[in-house]
Amino acid sequence: MASATDSDAGLAALMAAAQAGDIAAYQRLLKEITPRVRSVVRQSRRFLQPQDVEDLVQETLLSLHAVRATYDPKRPFMPWLMAITRNRLADGARRYARRTLREASVEPVTFSDVPANRDAEEYRDPEALRQAIVRLPLRQRQAIEMLKLREMSLKDASVATGTSIGALKVSVHRAVANLRRLLTNA
Amino acid sequence: MAMDHDTGALIHRLAESAEPVQPLPRPWVRTSAWVALAIAYLGLVIFVVSPRSDLMAKLSEWRYVIEQLAALATGVAAALAAFASVIPGYSRKFILAPALPLAVWLATLGQGCVQDWISSGPHGLTLRPDWLCFPSIALVGALPAVAMLAMLRRGAPLTPRLTIALGALAAAGLGNFGLRFFHPQDAGLMVLVWQFGSVFALSALAGWAGRYMLPWRAILDSERHFSR
Repeated sequence: MASATDSDAGLAALMAAAQAGDIAAYQRLLKEITPRVRSVVRQSRRFLQPQDVEDLVQETLLSLHAVRATYDPKRPFMPWLMAITRNRLADGARRYARRTLREASVEPVTFSDVPANRDAEEYRDPEALRQAIVRLPLRQRQAIEMLKLREMSLKDASVATGTSIGALKVSVHRAVANLRRLLTNA
Repeated sequence: MAMDHDTGALIHRLAESAEPVQPLPRPWVRTSAWVALAIAYLGLVIFVVSPRSDLMAKLSEWRYVIEQLAALATGVAAALAAFASVIPGYSRKFILAPALPLAVWLATLGQGCVQDWISSGPHGLTLRPDWLCFPSIALVGALPAVAMLAMLRRGAPLTPRLTIALGALAAAGLGNFGLRFFHPQDAGLMVLVWQFGSVFALSALAGWAGRYMLPWRAILDSERHFSR
């Protein structure tokens, strides 16, 4: 089933139409390129969980959207898309490395207060935390992933989710309360 | 599968919020526009400060002319490289565009030092403080630098440090080009250390702050602002 969008010229035409304000063309373009972006992310980051792959795919789509005016319809489309994808992959890797470094640099701390000591140890299990995040309701999970794990600003997360900043704050608050409950009951 | 559903929802939201955008002109077109603005501003500054009294005589000295042309070419090439670096998919070779004029500029300044040594001996290479150079170049290049930053922020911050360093080199290079029309300092070593040194320092300083001046987050915020 060869479609016009199989070729670079087809994608370029869709992007040019999207720049002119054609919503249907833009939606079709994003749907066409998403599997390609996902495939590149999977190939270059084989160790990532499917959720992390999807995070990077979404971040690439958001970035593409933000800089769509930089596409020149007279130039090929795929090199433009791949340059953005590679850049977001590299940025994601830097953030991942920073996060890993921060987690690794946390020294075990003991407190004289016994309950405080027990809580601190329970929260240091990253796998349990990951499982707990997966069990959160969709909105709360999105809020935690975007604001806490990917360190997006409230504004960016608001654009990405289509919800207000106030609603995001509420979701984070509820997510943290739920995580605390899930982790202490585990 | 849940995340695939999220990605589908994201695509839907992005498509619905997308307003028409004007594709950015090609890098050389943007460079021409920026250089035209910068030259007009330099002309105004030179007119206000008033040109050096020996300008006509200097314009007949090949060394002065070559140094000025090399500074101008460095600024223009750095601007082209900066504008190309914010367009995804452009060849990274563009980044090397200012290398040749920069080498010519440095070589003519070095040759000037040697010539001063031959004609005046050690006195020809006396280095005196010239604290006016750094702020003067920064001031003369200020408006072009602001315009450059505003134009670069419309692109994609693929290499923020390098892009900002190139943009600063462009503004400072043109700033130095303008400075020498009214600042009567032509001793080889003085120009090399205080003027070229200031251009280099400003570029390095700006490049260091590149990630703060050109972050993805600002581009996303700006997009959100204009698309709502």
